[in-house]
Amino acid sequence: MIAVCDAETIFALSSGHGRCGVAVVRVSGPASSMVLRNMAGLTQALPSPRTALLRRITDPQSKELLDRGLVLWFQGPHSFTGEDSAEFHIHGGPAVITAVLQALGSLEGVRPAEAGEFTRRAFHAGKLGLTEVEGLGDLIHAETEAQRRQALRQMDGELGRLYQDWGYRLKRCLAHVEAFIDFSEDELIEDGVLNQVDSSVRQLEAEIERHLKDERRGERLRSGVQVVIAGATNAGKSSLLNTLCQRPAAIVSPIAGTTRDIVETSLDIGGFPVLLSDTAGLRDSSDSVEREGVRRARQRVEQADLTLVVVDSTQLPPDPQLVPAFLQEHLSTVLPSPSPEAGMEAASDRVLLVLNKSDLVPEEQRERTEGELRESTGLPPACFLSCYTSTGLEDFLTVLQSRVKTLCGDPLSGAPSLTQARHRAHLQQSVQALIQYHQYRDQDLALAAEGVRLALTHLGRITGRVGAEEILDIIFRDFCIGK
Amino acid sequence: MLAQKLHLLRHNFLSFVSSRTGSDLTRRQYDVIVVGGGHAGTEAAAAAARLGAETLLITQKITTIGALSCNPSLGGVGKGQLVREVDALDGLCGRAGDWAGVHFSILNRSKGPAVWGPRAQLDRERYRQFIQSELLSTPRLTVLEGSVDELLVSQPNPEEPGHHRVTGIRLVDGSHPILSSSVVLTTGTFLSGSLFMGQTTSPGGRIGDVPSCAGLSYTLKETLGLRVGRLRTGTPPRIVKESVDLSLAQLQAPDKQPTPFSFLNTHTRCKPEEQLPCYLTHTTPGVETVVRESVHLNCHIQQDTKGPRYCPSIESRVLRFPGRRHQVWLEPEGLTSDLLYPQGLSMTMPPDLQLRLLREIPALHRAEIRTPGYGVQYDFVCPTQLTPSLQVKSTQGLFLAGQINGTTGYEEAAAQGLWAGVNAGRTALSLPPMALSRTQSYIGVLIDDLVGRGVTEPYRMFTSRAEFRTYLRPDNADLRLTPRGFEEVGCVTLRRYEKAVSVRDGLQEALMALQSVALSSTRWREKLGNISLSENKSTTLKCSIGSGLWLGHSDFQRHVPKPLLHCLGCVLRIVVLPCH
Repeated sequence: MIAVCDAETIFALSSGHGRCGVAVVRVSGPASSMVLRNMAGLTQALPSPRTALLRRITDPQSKELLDRGLVLWFQGPHSFTGEDSAEFHIHGGPAVITAVLQALGSLEGVRPAEAGEFTRRAFHAGKLGLTEVEGLGDLIHAETEAQRRQALRQMDGELGRLYQDWGYRLKRCLAHVEAFIDFSEDELIEDGVLNQVDSSVRQLEAEIERHLKDERRGERLRSGVQVVIAGATNAGKSSLLNTLCQRPAAIVSPIAGTTRDIVETSLDIGGFPVLLSDTAGLRDSSDSVEREGVRRARQRVEQADLTLVVVDSTQLPPDPQLVPAFLQEHLSTVLPSPSPEAGMEAASDRVLLVLNKSDLVPEEQRERTEGELRESTGLPPACFLSCYTSTGLEDFLTVLQSRVKTLCGDPLSGAPSLTQARHRAHLQQSVQALIQYHQYRDQDLALAAEGVRLALTHLGRITGRVGAEEILDIIFRDFCIGK
Repeated sequence: MLAQKLHLLRHNFLSFVSSRTGSDLTRRQYDVIVVGGGHAGTEAAAAAARLGAETLLITQKITTIGALSCNPSLGGVGKGQLVREVDALDGLCGRAGDWAGVHFSILNRSKGPAVWGPRAQLDRERYRQFIQSELLSTPRLTVLEGSVDELLVSQPNPEEPGHHRVTGIRLVDGSHPILSSSVVLTTGTFLSGSLFMGQTTSPGGRIGDVPSCAGLSYTLKETLGLRVGRLRTGTPPRIVKESVDLSLAQLQAPDKQPTPFSFLNTHTRCKPEEQLPCYLTHTTPGVETVVRESVHLNCHIQQDTKGPRYCPSIESRVLRFPGRRHQVWLEPEGLTSDLLYPQGLSMTMPPDLQLRLLREIPALHRAEIRTPGYGVQYDFVCPTQLTPSLQVKSTQGLFLAGQINGTTGYEEAAAQGLWAGVNAGRTALSLPPMALSRTQSYIGVLIDDLVGRGVTEPYRMFTSRAEFRTYLRPDNADLRLTPRGFEEVGCVTLRRYEKAVSVRDGLQEALMALQSVALSSTRWREKLGNISLSENKSTTLKCSIGSGLWLGHSDFQRHVPKPLLHCLGCVLRIVVLPCH
């Protein structure tokens, strides 16, 4: 990667805005040492790198005292951006911060950083790969524990390493095809080289496809699990939403059809991000507004990662033996008809039955019904719950959390997951291009090579561009070319 | 035609030597001066003159104009594309190759038309004759024997970028300066060149030729402040053909039907049956032993100047990939030459050891050396200091082309020479400079790589350098470049332009005619053989302009549908796109 030499020195407040104990102002670029000397009154040597020093911070022009704080010196390339950098840890009051930023801006050749510029410089200096940069972005925006773990893992470069490895192998495949094209007529490059490429390409295809078949776990963890509450009118869907988010986010009333549009709220369930939507009760209605609400509700259910089907327990058949069949029937009216590929099993993984208003059902009948439901097969897990008394909430949350966890995967175990839709698109295109290699392999090797080139370009959108020189380097390392 | 050419040549030579040397020059002012008569210089001079610029070519020795200093061959994979493109822009080397070739083959025939590599072994004598006769009969072009001592520069034109402006040159003999608006330097390996053989070093750029004077090198470095680097290359010993036991080598026959380089030619001068074969043999462990024993006597190999990784001396091949068998091609030097050129055996060890090494190879066990191999080290100007028109950024009117820009190979030199000549001519005629895009030509790829990325080793063209390789095919170089070369650049003659346009129109017509024919897929298969087509009842072909992947098939020509008969010639350049 070519290091971009930015002549300009940039600065920015790196900690959050608003009143706080300590604020951090970061400076990066060739003038960093000058900034440090001018602002921290260091006439002699700079402090030893990465050592905090308590200094009076003054305005370089007026020499007015601005604050007392810690200064740190990072000599390039041993810094976040790879350039000379400095940090000012000052008091976090808005006036102090403004004064220090203004003082910095008054220095020659120093300007405020644009959004993301520190990271961009780190990227250009080769300090961070593209996936690591994305991981860093995710880490800064992580709201839940599991998101933090996944982002940290990605920032560590683990996902990057997986893609780099594919990139490296693909580069070798391309180099060998190119060597065969450019040199085989004059040099000792055997046909066996191409057979090796054939099998490497096949293996790569299989690995990338396996990675793609992760059921979007990583992306879900990054952007939140879509959980949709659905069911008949007046089953208590909005009450469930309010109970789960512990505030009256949705209006509840005994009137059927109170909720007409979708009400969304985000939740942290056991460290996993959940985007919870409450929907209009499903019923045929003559009211055009409500009909639209029902249409939206059905659409939302189709896109959901997990659907909570809420049933009014008082509407269950009194005979517990009839309950499973009743629920089965009920589910088929709420859920979209299963597509042929998705087996029944997959559907039941994506649904939880919530039997609400359990406080209105005699305890004995409830227990017998629970027993009946445990025996029956083919039904998603069902939980009795009373949004009114909160009875059964604990158990329901345990079930919900384990479901959400399965949907996101454990960010710390196994191969790193795909985290971005962007990555998915490029990987899919990469696989498509590799298929082209096989299609043309025996007909036109130049077109086949184009397939590998294209695959590498798509992967390069994730890992960084691959130039012709890199390919030639591999050719000359692996083969004795020369006449 | 041959007789006429030779006559022309002799005539020109005589008049030239008597009237056009040194101080006898009638003119003291030219539009363009080209320094150097190699592949870059000849193309540059011819291109500038085609453009309409009064051009002067200065070379140390007229008899070495168009000399093939190293291998007696032209083209190959990637390089063949360059030759076709130079030809499409009306350059010389393609036609010279057709005139001088004695062994034609298209490399990579099994790998798809985009990477086919037209190549030929050349008769050195014929190549030189052709180039010299072309140059000497080019209007507006004067050739002068001489050695350039100094580049003359003055204050820049303030309206354009640059710190200097070139105004002409001064010759070594101290005569008056010769003025010009542009100068193209194509000094090859002569810029501070030194020759290496064993432990001896002598100044020079090619054995048998006097070294260039240091003045030019000084101007570039000191006056113009250009960054220069040093590269090395080498050439193998030439072997007496009679002393080689060819029965111990593998015969490599040329293509039965030679394919010309030039879009203007329908056939080559050499008849199919007159072609000469090449021979293939291999190194033995004994070769490796000699190399190892000679390392301490070989100062070229001990230096760490960058040589090409892909055209290494036998010394570096053996040292980098020990214990392997390396290929050695024994190539003819010409129809009447008694020499063979051992491609793959470039070496710089002392001559007695060169002989010992050769004789370790069975076919060469009693080989005799006519001239030993040697190495050359030379200065090159870091090409990132050039614009895409090949002008030195800091010096208005100064253009560089060929090895001086860090490249290797005749074809690379010719391509740059042509483009530098075009722009030197345009500058002199007050036209804006032009650049070729890497999306449209290998010449564009070459120049873009040079000026954008620079070089760390001698740069050679490979097809893998071209991102748009499947489009930049050798077969369509005329369609890509010739119309533009005439309409926009001005370096293409009317005759060639008209030919290219008629080909283009003919292809379109043939394409439309072909697409109007609907036959059942079974019938198409009868005509075209095994071809993937959709299984509709009646179908037209999905075709595109390419090279004769399917329709060049002789079966097809026998069964060609009637509406197509009149455009059979063009049909050879149409491909049927396979359906998937």
